[in-house]
Amino acid sequence: MAFLTQLLFHPFTWYHAHQLLAGQMGVDGLLALSIWLTLYSGQLTLANAGFMAIGAYSSVILTGGTTSSGPAAAGVHLPLPVAMLIGVVLAAVVALLIGLPVLRLKGVFLAIATLGFGEALRFGLILNLGITGKGQGLNNPHATLTSGIMPIWLSLAILAFLAWRLTGTKTGHAWAAIREDQLAAAAQGIDVARYKMVAFVLGAMVAAFAGALGAHLSFLIDSNDYTFTQAIDMLIWAVVGGIAFVIGPIVGAVLLTILPEVLRFTQDYRQVINGVILIAIVLFRPDGLFTRRSGTGQSGWFVRRWVTVRRRWPSRRPQPAPP
Amino acid sequence: MRNTIQQLLNGIFIGSIYALFGLGYTLVFGLLDVLNLAHSEVFMLGAVVAYSLVALHHVPFLLAVPLGIAAGGLLGLVIEFVALRPLRRRGAPPIAALISTIGLALILVALIEQAKRGGALSWLWRDGANDVQFPAGKVPDRIWHLAGLTLPVNKVAIVVITVALMGVLAYVMAKTPAGRAVRAVAENPRAAQLLGVNVDRVITITLVASSALAALAGILFALALNDISPYIGRDQVELRGLAVIVLGGMGSIPGTFIGGFTLGLLESITILTLGTDVRAVGFVALFVMLILRPSGLLGRPATERV
Amino acid sequence: MRTTSRIRWWGTAGVAVALFASACGSSSGTASSKGKTLKLGAVFSLTGAGGVYGPQQQQAVKLAEETINAGGGVNGANLSIQVVDDASTQTQAAQQTQTLIQQNQVVALLGPTLSNSAVAAHPIADSLKTPMLAVSTTGLNIVGTCPYPCTYIFRDSLGEAAAIPTNIKTYVAAASPKPKTGVLLYPNDDKFSVDGATAVKQTVTDPAVGIQLLDTIQFSKSDADLTQFVNQGVAKHPDVIFITSLGGIPAKIMTAARQQGFTGQFLGGNGFNSAAVSKQAGNFGKGARSASAWYLGNDFASNAEFVKAFKAKYGTDPDQFAAQAYTGVLILADAAKRAKLTYTDLAGDRQKLRTAMESTNIQTPLGPFQFTSTHDVHQTIWVIAMDGQGGFSLVTSVKPS
Repeated sequence: MAFLTQLLFHPFTWYHAHQLLAGQMGVDGLLALSIWLTLYSGQLTLANAGFMAIGAYSSVILTGGTTSSGPAAAGVHLPLPVAMLIGVVLAAVVALLIGLPVLRLKGVFLAIATLGFGEALRFGLILNLGITGKGQGLNNPHATLTSGIMPIWLSLAILAFLAWRLTGTKTGHAWAAIREDQLAAAAQGIDVARYKMVAFVLGAMVAAFAGALGAHLSFLIDSNDYTFTQAIDMLIWAVVGGIAFVIGPIVGAVLLTILPEVLRFTQDYRQVINGVILIAIVLFRPDGLFTRRSGTGQSGWFVRRWVTVRRRWPSRRPQPAPP
Repeated sequence: MRNTIQQLLNGIFIGSIYALFGLGYTLVFGLLDVLNLAHSEVFMLGAVVAYSLVALHHVPFLLAVPLGIAAGGLLGLVIEFVALRPLRRRGAPPIAALISTIGLALILVALIEQAKRGGALSWLWRDGANDVQFPAGKVPDRIWHLAGLTLPVNKVAIVVITVALMGVLAYVMAKTPAGRAVRAVAENPRAAQLLGVNVDRVITITLVASSALAALAGILFALALNDISPYIGRDQVELRGLAVIVLGGMGSIPGTFIGGFTLGLLESITILTLGTDVRAVGFVALFVMLILRPSGLLGRPATERV
Repeated sequence: MRTTSRIRWWGTAGVAVALFASACGSSSGTASSKGKTLKLGAVFSLTGAGGVYGPQQQQAVKLAEETINAGGGVNGANLSIQVVDDASTQTQAAQQTQTLIQQNQVVALLGPTLSNSAVAAHPIADSLKTPMLAVSTTGLNIVGTCPYPCTYIFRDSLGEAAAIPTNIKTYVAAASPKPKTGVLLYPNDDKFSVDGATAVKQTVTDPAVGIQLLDTIQFSKSDADLTQFVNQGVAKHPDVIFITSLGGIPAKIMTAARQQGFTGQFLGGNGFNSAAVSKQAGNFGKGARSASAWYLGNDFASNAEFVKAFKAKYGTDPDQFAAQAYTGVLILADAAKRAKLTYTDLAGDRQKLRTAMESTNIQTPLGPFQFTSTHDVHQTIWVIAMDGQGGFSLVTSVKPS
């Protein structure tokens, strides 16, 4: 297939014709990183599409975005980095406010409450405020199509490095301990609520940053870009990549973002093959592409040889043993 | 006044669809702690199969309904054997099962969406991404007018069927050996196995039942709302189904029942009192509910379950 | 934390194998050595939300390609149109546009199907100085005053901002008694619908129309049951219900409103003009009026031939999307004929084609077609009404001013 051979053998030609895809891969990598922060600390939150929207809308409004009826939405023209900073800080503040009540929830309850936040933000605010252009979307006349790609990849590299370093610190160890067993972590004197909040707020900030970067690849932002589906996509990338390492979600995001392009030759059945590959990856690597080696699996040869299975989340009960 | 009553009735109609859809969701979650995101696509396929039988193969509607439900049950087997059991066998985390059911959902939507006239699946679906409806005259479509109120017979039937099924299901779960086995597995699979329960069989049967319910919900939805498309599951009921089962309390059958009607009525009351500019009440309610009472209206205490 | 970290690459390798396996099934077209080839591209939504429209567009484009090549091509050059799917997403639309221009070296493009995708794809085409002709986008700011440079962007699809006022004014002018009140229903999370609603709100305040909007009812395209929203509107007893929406929504609203006893008029825009909508609305939709870019029953030669050929090839009637996509190919082929392309200097050819497109004046299935100075549609508008049996009848036609 031309796409892959070109990518492998003529990367510069490939880049020339696929700059936007490259940019999108970077943004998706950042989004996967954002959800990884909360997953690594054992929390399944789906609020990041909402934070992404906060970053995107703030940065576009503050750099002079316009609504369909013409005038500048806010009448201010801040430099992009300042606008992005404001968006990221705003996301952090919102995360702090909703985190206080919500992070007491666990598991799927947390997931659905955070999902509720995203939908309420979209239907309650974005689609009703004049400043966001409502359902017509917000025009972004200051989009930069190609010059934005290097900054995206650079930030991804820096943030991934920082996140990796973070896993070795006291905070990182606390996150891992909370993920393995929250009660035990609390018994060891770890301030569970605080560390969860740190992960949640950091995740929100990275998501807002990614949202802002992504928004400036496009001349129009629209509330439909920040839905439930987007939140689930991030989760898929992270789980497919594996959450034991920072690199997992990023690789997951890059691979799954590129997959539809690779599968283009399958034409009508592209989405079908996409789904089959997703299932295949999860079946063969239930803990993701990148996992730690430990314990023993009771599975087939492929898994016994190459994969080691260990539950990422503590279960309140054992799984049924094979008869 | 008449408008108020009509709107509350509308809330009950749509609420019962939410409840019926949520029922299967919550059965599987209660048993496996897995959110089965392919559930909404079984809902869609139930409607598609019934539509195909009635519109393309001229099967009488009353025969098409059980066949559509049976097709849903078969899909339950597919979900169990493709997306759930292999992962359970290797002790994968429930989140992996969430992803595999998403993969299955993608496949099901894409297959229908790409089924066109003359294609390989044209015996099942030939309208691609379009909305269709049951052909007029082949399905019940009477409308009762009572004291100025509009009561489509299909919608009334949905409420009746939902209430009846809730009763049956609650009885089965509480009083029959099968129900006891399901509850035992939900409580502790290993202990249940030691007591002689065939855990895999219980799970398989629950998946089939849950999917059959989803297919029925899909058929009734298609009938009452005149709308069948590859997206009715994903776009129209999936999120609200999640809201309903959380609102009611995960895994609780009466809770889902109450959650469904609560959401339907809440939406109606908001439209009546606050107008149509105020949206997402359902999610705000959900948010508030989770904060005040994390286990939902009738749920067990929230434990670590992903 | 007893585990030693060790990253496993094999999962990745597995994916790579899968991808590589997929790599072996492709066939890349070899450039024709017999004469020249005029390469065009089309970015359509074949899957996803726009999957309702994209497939007909693809069919029409393929039909146009065959018809033109069978008739000797474009000044002898073979016409080759590559259609790609954007999966109804902005990002894939933009990427595909870039790939078609820079890798496949197309001279000009058609598409994308949806307005949102157009806003993502058009700036790319413009920045790469390649003409791109929108064949189905009806939103505001697609051509003319765009939020980005759009000198290479054209559109052959009638905008809602032109269709809706024409429809409302035509209806009011002939109605007796004159409608006094109306209710507007639209999903507020869909750009097409909101753009249309904006046009309705502006038109009703026109002194020549003078309809008072009793209520503006918003809902979401993901709302399952629209009955509750329709009830709110019907309870106000309006003379007219305005619906600006696409797909199954207009039909659902019409059905619910008639069941609630509404007896007034339905008015809408391009969203009504599909056989699927008319069929779904059935008898409830009878008389619902919209102003459209195209009418199936027009019997002038350029349309009759198109309809006949389409039906012969695909077994169904074409719809408006097909007609506009077909017209798009005719416009590009006609411009290419007049532009004296070199087939060697790609940048120059794109420039020449753009200039030639500006002076388009041809017969199409849409009627006589020209572009305005802002590259927008200059065509006859067809006011049509649903016939209650899945079809439409022509009410009147409005010549461009």
